[in-house]
Amino acid sequence: MPRPVLTIVRRALAALGLAGLVAAGLRIRGTGGVPPQSGGWRELTKADIES
Amino acid sequence: MKAAVVGCGAVGARVARQLLAMATVDEVVLYDSAGERALAVARALGDNARVEDGGPDELPPVDVAVLATPAQSQLQWAKSAVRRGISVVSLTDAIEDVQLLLGLAGAARAAGVSVVVGAGFCPGLTCVLARFAAERFDVVDEIHVAKSGTGGPACARQHHRALSGAALDWRDNAWVRRPGGSGRELLWFPEPVAARDCYRAALADALLLVPSFPHATRITSRLSATRRDRMTARFPMLRPPHPEGRTGAVRVELRGRREGTHDVSVVGVTERTAVGAAAVAATAAAWSVAGRFPAGASGLAAIVEPRAFLTDLMDRGIRISSFDGRPRREV
Repeated sequence: MPRPVLTIVRRALAALGLAGLVAAGLRIRGTGGVPPQSGGWRELTKADIES
Repeated sequence: MKAAVVGCGAVGARVARQLLAMATVDEVVLYDSAGERALAVARALGDNARVEDGGPDELPPVDVAVLATPAQSQLQWAKSAVRRGISVVSLTDAIEDVQLLLGLAGAARAAGVSVVVGAGFCPGLTCVLARFAAERFDVVDEIHVAKSGTGGPACARQHHRALSGAALDWRDNAWVRRPGGSGRELLWFPEPVAARDCYRAALADALLLVPSFPHATRITSRLSATRRDRMTARFPMLRPPHPEGRTGAVRVELRGRREGTHDVSVVGVTERTAVGAAAVAATAAAWSVAGRFPAGASGLAAIVEPRAFLTDLMDRGIRISSFDGRPRREV
């Protein structure tokens, strides 16, 4: 395989690896947690409806 | 009181059952294009239910006719009932049906009967919830309605059609048609339905709410759907729909002003769709016969006293919730 092609492949792989490392770092540091999946609703009573 | 129930599917059969559970109802006459289905429902309901054959012109002298037939099949029944001086409660949720039935207003007023249009789960319960929530506000600026789930097979087919049709929204004091299946929004319904992706669809809620909220600048409605629902909405249904849908839900979000400040109110209901629709229709039929609705044709939002109506629905087992944003602490 010609040398310039190998260089391009090597640089592409290096770029992908670097992007993966950055993404992993951000993923580990990003501690947003899981937002609430339920709750917030309150059942109304007849007194609530009538008042 | 005598009532006719036209259409004995998942919703119609439950309407008949709920009507017969009322002390004031003596007899329910059932109609269905599939005679065997009406006979099976009548047998299950007992001696006070009987089956009649025939079309709209053979409607017997009853006090109220509840129309629970599929979309685009209710106008002739409604016209025939109004001609005979019979009040009508329609469960349609198709935009075209709603427009045509609202067009009977003049004939209904002349005959001294009420035609209640869209008295099901959505529209219907959503209209009552909107009126109820609106009492908190001095001015209502926006109403956003959403529905999740379907009742019987006819309701599932209408859900399929609605996703491929054009949504009718009220925006900045004008009607706007937007493509069904667009405008994804993640909305929270009362548990156990919880969060669902909802999309624009050909729903009739805005059409029924606009006359009752003249100051509202935006009234929209959305339907929950999966990616597969959206992808296949423009094709014929590949599989026959289920006999009855599972638990469904509606939510109504109002934005407006109260004592000079902006405020938001969200109310909702979770129930099996057919059960919720039947409870609303049966209550509307009882109110109609009791003379609690004026003569004419309109949606529930225009004619209902919301607190009393919701209290009657609670007596039928419908649970109404309000969203306050505070997670419940498990005990």
